[in-house]
Amino acid sequence: MANVSLKHIYKVYPNGTKAVNDFNMEIQDKEFIVFVGPSGCGKSTTLRMIAGLEDISAGELKIGDLIVNDMEPKDRDIAMVFQNYALYPHMTVYENIAFGLRLRKLPKDEIHNKVLEAAEILGITEYLNKKPKEMSGGQRQRVALGRAIVREPKVMLLDEPLSNLDAKLRTQMRAEISKLHAKLQTTFIYVTHDQVEAMTMGTRIVVMKNGFVQQIDTPKNLYNYPANKFVAGFIGTPQMNFFEGTLLKKGDNVVIKFDNSEAEITVPYSMLYKAKPAYLDGNAKVYIGLRPEDATIAADGGNAVIKVKVSHKEELGSETLIYGDINLEGDGYGEGSTRIIIKDTGDRELNGGDIIDVALNLNRVHLFDKETEQSVLPRIPEYNYLDCEVKGGKLKFLGAELDLPEAAKCGDLKGELLLPTDAITFNGNLKAEVVSCEKIGGVNLLALTLNGKRLYAVSPECVEAKTVNIGVDFKKITVISGGEKVIAPMPEVNEFACKFVKKKAVEEVEENGKTKKKKVIRFGFAVGDNFFEASEENSQKIFAALGIKKAFTAGLKMECGAYDLTVSDEGIAASVIETLDYGVEKFLKCKVGEGTVYVKCDGEIKGDIHLLPDFEKVGIVETERDIKII
Amino acid sequence: MEKQKYASKKGRERLSLAVIYTILILISLVWLIPFFLIVILSLRGEAAGMSAGYIFPKEWSFKNYITLFTETQFLRWYGNTLLVSLVVTIFQTIIVLMTSYALSRLRFKMRKPLMNLMLILGMFPGFLSMTAVYFILDSMHFTNVIGLILVYSASSAMQYYICKGFFDTIPKSLDEAARIDGASRHTVFFKIILPLAKPIIIYTILTAFIAPWGEYMFSSLIVGTGSMDNYTVAVGMWKWLENPQLRTAYFPVFCAAAVIVSIPITALFIWLQRYYVEGVTGGSVKG
Repeated sequence: MANVSLKHIYKVYPNGTKAVNDFNMEIQDKEFIVFVGPSGCGKSTTLRMIAGLEDISAGELKIGDLIVNDMEPKDRDIAMVFQNYALYPHMTVYENIAFGLRLRKLPKDEIHNKVLEAAEILGITEYLNKKPKEMSGGQRQRVALGRAIVREPKVMLLDEPLSNLDAKLRTQMRAEISKLHAKLQTTFIYVTHDQVEAMTMGTRIVVMKNGFVQQIDTPKNLYNYPANKFVAGFIGTPQMNFFEGTLLKKGDNVVIKFDNSEAEITVPYSMLYKAKPAYLDGNAKVYIGLRPEDATIAADGGNAVIKVKVSHKEELGSETLIYGDINLEGDGYGEGSTRIIIKDTGDRELNGGDIIDVALNLNRVHLFDKETEQSVLPRIPEYNYLDCEVKGGKLKFLGAELDLPEAAKCGDLKGELLLPTDAITFNGNLKAEVVSCEKIGGVNLLALTLNGKRLYAVSPECVEAKTVNIGVDFKKITVISGGEKVIAPMPEVNEFACKFVKKKAVEEVEENGKTKKKKVIRFGFAVGDNFFEASEENSQKIFAALGIKKAFTAGLKMECGAYDLTVSDEGIAASVIETLDYGVEKFLKCKVGEGTVYVKCDGEIKGDIHLLPDFEKVGIVETERDIKII
Repeated sequence: MEKQKYASKKGRERLSLAVIYTILILISLVWLIPFFLIVILSLRGEAAGMSAGYIFPKEWSFKNYITLFTETQFLRWYGNTLLVSLVVTIFQTIIVLMTSYALSRLRFKMRKPLMNLMLILGMFPGFLSMTAVYFILDSMHFTNVIGLILVYSASSAMQYYICKGFFDTIPKSLDEAARIDGASRHTVFFKIILPLAKPIIIYTILTAFIAPWGEYMFSSLIVGTGSMDNYTVAVGMWKWLENPQLRTAYFPVFCAAAVIVSIPITALFIWLQRYYVEGVTGGSVKG
């Protein structure tokens, strides 16, 4: 019955392998979270770090309100079910379940009642006097579950608990674990490599690969809005079909062209509003992803129809999977970029070699970049890509006109405007119509039209009104003209090289009414010649992540935003290069050592200044392994 | 046709079995004859040495056993040896089990080098250090039973190898489950691991007992030069054989002593083999 919070969790082995990379997640009370991914993706390692069986290399793990990084597993108030059950073979089922309670020195009667209750829930009352070896796999796993629930833990951890069971039993236990979760009302974290288990049981699923979190979302959203090709291919059986191809924008339409095939399909541009224009030039290679159920055998021709040569089929009773190839020369057996699987519910006579018409439901098409494999149609696009013109200090885009502030002034030009979705403010004087407001994660994505053209914006609150006044945060925009960045956004994060140091000092301490001089050791961060004392908590994080010895030698990087630095009489020495005036806000561009730093300021300041970071908000990163420690 | 083929196959099988059994019987005879001789000779009533030229005694009697316990210091030596062996067994079993568990479960710096070092050191014959050991013990006035116990127990931890191999086969998830259940390392070791490690505990006890029980080299060095009261059986009996007169006169007595010496080991094995059951870990994890 607790939240679990993972912040910048890393697992780095002594040989430098990163098993888990920057894992961030807030798990709410009573959630059923599933970690899923292929073997070696770091899901079990993460779970074992939560359990305390594996050290956390860096980051902060909270269960409830407690930071438990250095806590023994037994003190974390968790219970774990292992893949191989891990029952104590020399004890009876009863003793196995009671073991944890006995170690906690509960009164005998209470233990007895609790064991019986747990056995009742799991239907193993009649086996209580048996030894584990006399039981079947399913029964043993029930005992393991009983051992976990009897302690009424805050968090239940399950490490592939069903992998050793046969298919039928697995389905049955799956339902029972879901039932158990509903009954116990406890936070469950469940690790599996089986996407069916993940989809059927989880309230939210974490898809992992090679130590990186790929996507965290509800099963439905993972299925409908995969963030990259890996997630798209991993979730759903049979696997999503992936074709290589290109997109070409022609007026209000986009032509999707499939490689190694004659197939060409035209779709309206409105479907691809969120895509980056660079993908629509007819050259950029993309993966076109389409789930087998979104391809149907067409009776008569239509718009989104392609020709497919059937290779073979798999009859599953209620449905038939038809394997084919969109390359009419191909064979449809290899998992190439032209193979297509069609889920067909009809009863059709089809033979290998038949050429059929297949209609594609392109409303549900997924597009991924061929290199990065990231979605071309992200749910929340990062930028609006717009044509723009600067003339006489005014920025013109989508038929609107805005005065460029001092800091973003430039000569007359025509170019491309990269307007981040979060750079649209709701206090300007441009009037936009609200088309839709979609809640995604913690934010709202607004689809707007400005003078008839689409614009996306994110807002913390849902906008219900039909029209909204918008403006532009100029410090975030980019204008590209002739291949050059004419207006660049102000960097959001300033970086300082720093070291963790210890400082010996003599302090006067009052003891028993007398003033005594006492030697004390202070830990802190050295940036240049400055020493900033570190809070107890931060020092401990550094020591935990780097060890006592390495803490003082490792190269560190301090990260803080422009708002987290204040101009002061003491602190990091900097010299002002210029003042950036963005109209509403003013920033100082300063030189610190070799680097450039941006600081929020109120008035005009010139010459040499000093900067004080706000240590409540700064981040510390170890440069060598690139690990965020604080 | 079919039947004949079958029959001939059976015939060949029988022949090969006959050959195998003959060889095995011969080997076991070679192995058993010395034991047999010793038991027979110890029951000889007449005084005659090994070279008497016959095997079966002319007069069956327990005379030699009576002589052994009444006229020699054998009982005293036997007590010494038993004391040394039992104390060493206790020390060594505890040390070996704990070392093995630590090496199997804990991960610490220099773990692998330490294991290799112990293995290599164990390969050096013990007598290389004999002189040094003697002078150290002599300077501490430990050239007696205590010295022997020290010498035998000192390198116990080096016997970790087989035991660690056994612990490695007990799934780590058992330890982890217990630790999550609330057990400390200490509780895990005593409540989970030891009950599962019965066969290897028995093995450790047996080897720990047998080694000092029959050891001659160190005991002759440490207790063999001093008072006869401190002798162990191996040292005492060798002294009989060393002396030409005693050798002839005492030979049947020597055989009787040999029979008595073999009793504790046999008893120990018979008592402990009950626990030598296989499959103690059955059902704990998916096999």
